[in-house]
Amino acid sequence: MKRIIIALLGISLVFTSCKKGKVEISGCTDSSALNFDPLATIDDSSCIYPVNTSLTINFSQTVDGVDLTTDTMIYTNSAGEDYSIQTLKYLISDITLHKDDSTSILLKEVHFVDIRNASTLSVDFGELQDGNYTSISFTMGLDTAKNISNRYVNEDFHATMFWPEPNGGGYHYMKLEGAYTNDSTFYNTHTGGTMGGDYSFNNNSSILLNVNNDMGDVIIDINMEINNWYQTPNEIAFSTYGMGIMMNMQKQMELKQNGMTDIFSVSVNQ
Amino acid sequence: MKKALYFFIVLVLLFSCKKEVVETTIPHQTSPYTISTPLGFPTMQIPDNNPMTVEGVTLGKKLFHDKILSADGTQSCASCHFQAAGFSDTNRFSEGIDGSFGDRNASTIVNAGWNTSNFWDGRATTLEDQAFGPVVNPIEMNNSWQNVENTLNANTTYKDLFKKTFNIDDIDSTHVVMAIAQFERTLISANSKYDKYLRNEIQLSPSELNGLVIFNTEKGDCFHCHSTDMFIDNLFHNNGLDAEPFTDLGLAKVTGIDSDNGKFKTPTLRNIEFSAPYMHDGRFSTLEQVVEHYNSGGKYSTTVDPLMKKLGVGLQLTEQEKQDLIAFLKTLSDTEFLNNPDFTP
Ligand code: HEC
Ligand code: HEC
Repeated sequence: MKRIIIALLGISLVFTSCKKGKVEISGCTDSSALNFDPLATIDDSSCIYPVNTSLTINFSQTVDGVDLTTDTMIYTNSAGEDYSIQTLKYLISDITLHKDDSTSILLKEVHFVDIRNASTLSVDFGELQDGNYTSISFTMGLDTAKNISNRYVNEDFHATMFWPEPNGGGYHYMKLEGAYTNDSTFYNTHTGGTMGGDYSFNNNSSILLNVNNDMGDVIIDINMEINNWYQTPNEIAFSTYGMGIMMNMQKQMELKQNGMTDIFSVSVNQ
Repeated sequence: MKKALYFFIVLVLLFSCKKEVVETTIPHQTSPYTISTPLGFPTMQIPDNNPMTVEGVTLGKKLFHDKILSADGTQSCASCHFQAAGFSDTNRFSEGIDGSFGDRNASTIVNAGWNTSNFWDGRATTLEDQAFGPVVNPIEMNNSWQNVENTLNANTTYKDLFKKTFNIDDIDSTHVVMAIAQFERTLISANSKYDKYLRNEIQLSPSELNGLVIFNTEKGDCFHCHSTDMFIDNLFHNNGLDAEPFTDLGLAKVTGIDSDNGKFKTPTLRNIEFSAPYMHDGRFSTLEQVVEHYNSGGKYSTTVDPLMKKLGVGLQLTEQEKQDLIAFLKTLSDTEFLNNPDFTP
């Protein structure tokens, strides 16, 4: 008799063992919660979660302070040339957050931004550790240590940002292209390590970001104001580009100086 | 006794929770095929569900060259993709089994394992997807997959080879294209004169070197699309061949977006000396004509690429510079690839 009961029990267990919720134990069933109960089968909404601060960095682009519109000749540079923007791709490297205790966190070695690819315009860096962050720094382009041919051969941007050896090797820092004056005259503002020179530049922006454990998500926006490439201190006209500026050290220097002046602005949204 | 019973119950419980029943199969042995990445090439992305094996590559090669895939047994993939022409067609348009012609020149299949899309308009993503096309294309092999499967299943040699390669008893289209794609991934050309120059094994002539500089600076400005040592950027461009209206919409045929009208996938220039005629419609029969096209600056249309920045002005190359550019293009010929016995059945 006993045996039969045990056998029956066994069989009934076999039937129920794979079905969830037959033997009901209520509690918190989410393993990411602080009070996760591994025995619980029914969630009773009692889960308690740690409050994380997750960091997102957005890369935005404006012309004269207004969000970029592509493919229409609605912009005018400081030299008075009307222009449109069709392509904008650039590399931002060494994106680093700095704390008041003089430690820093390198968020990403190189980030490729392509205005035609929404997934490159926003990067989720996940949880941000507590601390008082006082500045964010990054490099426009690649410094000499990084700007080496084939260094990023397995990255998406390898082919499209390729800068051939006869021009110094490495990668384009930026490809900004479109038409000017009329629809069939094109400009290519291509910056890079012309003849092995280093025309990348660093941007360091102060921020007020005190992260503690009961703070929500944080978004840092890095905006490029495109028209500023062409005005201060050097007024740059597309009509002076000649056959192109990839070998033109003077133009690369002028673009770098303009870039350092006011191309980027950083804002923090909590 | 009781203990044994409990043990039994626990055992039953353990097994009852397994979703899949593990079948006992005769272990089947394949040898992995390793792709070695040439200097300056990225790591090839191979689909997880189609790992390269020596058996798969051999089977793919056999299928690629076998006329059994076409409806009337007159045509194989190799009928339009000749090895000596960089696996492209020397005819402007390829003749299908019924004597019908398409309106595009057969692409080369050179380093295609690195393509992120296939066909001139990119309509197939992987080489596996691509290979589904020609077999049933009415102006190509004009067959049905059902028919191909029946024919192959009736063939003991293929039965045996598919069993050895994929451990399957019934041959299906999925495994046919998997084998073909494996073979295509081995079609790697990276031993041209130019590659030897990059590896410091030989020198280029002054004319070839001058051509290299024209190609790789804004003077000729070829590198912005035919980029890196692969000479592709895996992107689509309108390189100014035609003014509107376009007879072939190219990429827009696939995306339906007007701004993609007249854009085509940048083709590799490796073995270009042997893969004439040129462009998606084979309109040019010589490299001289191609260079003349670019030297003219190209034609304006609303979708012409802003990289064609000498539109209306032209590259203004001298006769000598044009010859130098062509001399450089010819350094991309890889005779070892074009004659590689591994690729022939
Ligand atoms: C009747 C001639 C013909 C036959 C037969 C043929 N092809 Fe093609 N192939 C073409 C043409 C034409 C194109 C370009 C078509 C287009 O882009 O629309 C092409 C394109 C391709 C491409 C694209 C390469 C690239 O870089 O985009 C691959 C790969 C290919 N064929 C493989 C095959 C395989 C595998 C077979 C056999 C199953 C095959 N072809 C049979 C004519 C043919
Ligand atoms: C704006 C991008 C772009 C630039 C710049 C460019 N090409 Fe091309 N090239 C293409 C595209 C796209 C095609 C295919 C076009 C088509 O078939 O409609 C092509 C086709 C070719 C072909 C024919 C390949 C084949 O298999 O049929 C050759 C050869 C070629 N280009 C050489 C050059 C040379 C030499 C230069 C520099 C003088 C150059 N290209 C500049 C994009 C470009």
